[in-house]
Amino acid sequence: MDAFFNDLAVMAPAVVFNIYFAMASIPLGFVMAVFLALGKASSNPLINALSRGYIYAFRGSPLFIQFFMFYSLALSLNLTVWRPLGISGFVLHPLFMGPLVLVLNTAAYTAEIFYGALRAVPRGAVEAARAYGMSRSQQFRRVVWPNLIRLAWPAYTNEVVFLFHATAIVYFALPVVGPQADLMITAKTLFERDFNAFLHFSVAALYFLVVSLVVFFLFGLVYQRLMRHLPAQPGLHFAPKWFR
Amino acid sequence: MTEDLAFWLSYITNGKHLTWYASFQFTIYAALLGGALAVVFGLTGATLKNSRFFVLRLVGSTYSSIVRGVPDVLFFLFFPLAFEQGVEWLVSTQVCSPEAIAAQTAPWPPCREANWFLGTTEYLLLASVSLGLVYGAFATNVIHGAMRAVPAGQLEAARAYGMSAAQVLWRVHIRQMWVYALPGLSNVWMLIVKATSLLSLLQIADIVLWADRLGAPNFLPTVGLVHDDWRWRYYLVLFVFYILVTWLSERAFEYLMRRTGRGILSEVPA
Repeated sequence: MDAFFNDLAVMAPAVVFNIYFAMASIPLGFVMAVFLALGKASSNPLINALSRGYIYAFRGSPLFIQFFMFYSLALSLNLTVWRPLGISGFVLHPLFMGPLVLVLNTAAYTAEIFYGALRAVPRGAVEAARAYGMSRSQQFRRVVWPNLIRLAWPAYTNEVVFLFHATAIVYFALPVVGPQADLMITAKTLFERDFNAFLHFSVAALYFLVVSLVVFFLFGLVYQRLMRHLPAQPGLHFAPKWFR
Repeated sequence: MTEDLAFWLSYITNGKHLTWYASFQFTIYAALLGGALAVVFGLTGATLKNSRFFVLRLVGSTYSSIVRGVPDVLFFLFFPLAFEQGVEWLVSTQVCSPEAIAAQTAPWPPCREANWFLGTTEYLLLASVSLGLVYGAFATNVIHGAMRAVPAGQLEAARAYGMSAAQVLWRVHIRQMWVYALPGLSNVWMLIVKATSLLSLLQIADIVLWADRLGAPNFLPTVGLVHDDWRWRYYLVLFVFYILVTWLSERAFEYLMRRTGRGILSEVPA
């Protein structure tokens, strides 16, 4: 039991890195995804093809490979670009590279969600907005977007949790700088010290679970706020059937 | 021009590159075996979730929600290590003498005789099993949902024919479930394919590890072609490889869906 609390304490600073990676990439990924989704729905063939290709490529390949690819690309540009500019320490730092690749990745997944929601926006609502004489930007801001975000929010919540889980592989692809280790690296280091796989990995898993639950809770609150114009859904009630 | 072509052709067919091409087999084995196991675990989990007994239902839903609640890479690392330690512990209870245990200085294994050395094959098998376990949890949810999508009339008809509960399950329920499960299972398959890129974390010399070795800068003419850091080119090849696999899988699943949906689904996906 002592070892368990010790692990909890050791991993508390480590979870901050996972949370940092997720928090740094969510806002940018969100904004990028909105543009990508609109691009995928665009009638301009060039924008359409580019957005479609981007979303397909980043959804169709592993994040692990994307990390390696972008990091090695940044490394090979080091001598010619970053070093002369004097920003090589910044660009090649995992705290920058990690969120960069995560943004590129989550933008594609989120864009697909938003694109699906965009197509599910009721046609009648958009037609009514047009009949009122709204401009395209007014249509988007007042009719399409509010519908879109409500439709997409549950799926987007899942994507955020997946993104948080994806932060577990950041440091398997990027170098660990000094004591800046995330949950997985900390668990692995502790494991290599006393070979107690069950304890260390369980504590790391517990942290991931708890943060995931917190994300679900917070995003659920936002969803309730988004849906406040509708009658409240009946709450969950616990009534197990022991045998049926 | 021809000389250049011949040179590059000989470069990409040298021994190291051929080993790289051969290592694609690990990825393919892990994906296929992991996928098959995911379906098996998914069926088991869904059956547990549908069980008549609360405890079994609890086991099924705990499995699917806990495993989906932690990152795949965590479970992917944990399961082979835990399995190895479990076997070593079991062996140690049989082969370790008290003197050997007392003589052991390392924290693990309990004694030197109990050490189990895992080679590539063993790690590949364990990796496939853990892929199956992780994505079986996703498949559990998919199959559970698909089982509920089977029209109740079909099951009632089967019961009216006098089939037993097991017969209804195997001959009607699970047979008809596939059509509804295929779109979800296709997503799970895509996740498994992408997770096969993690094999190098279990000391398997897979495509990612070889891409890293081949692309690493080389300054010694005796070792081979002198080049600077080419790793991104090799990773780009893998990037494209995975996109191609995704594309192929999509086509395959579309075909499967059209084929299994004949006469059941009215709308055929274009």
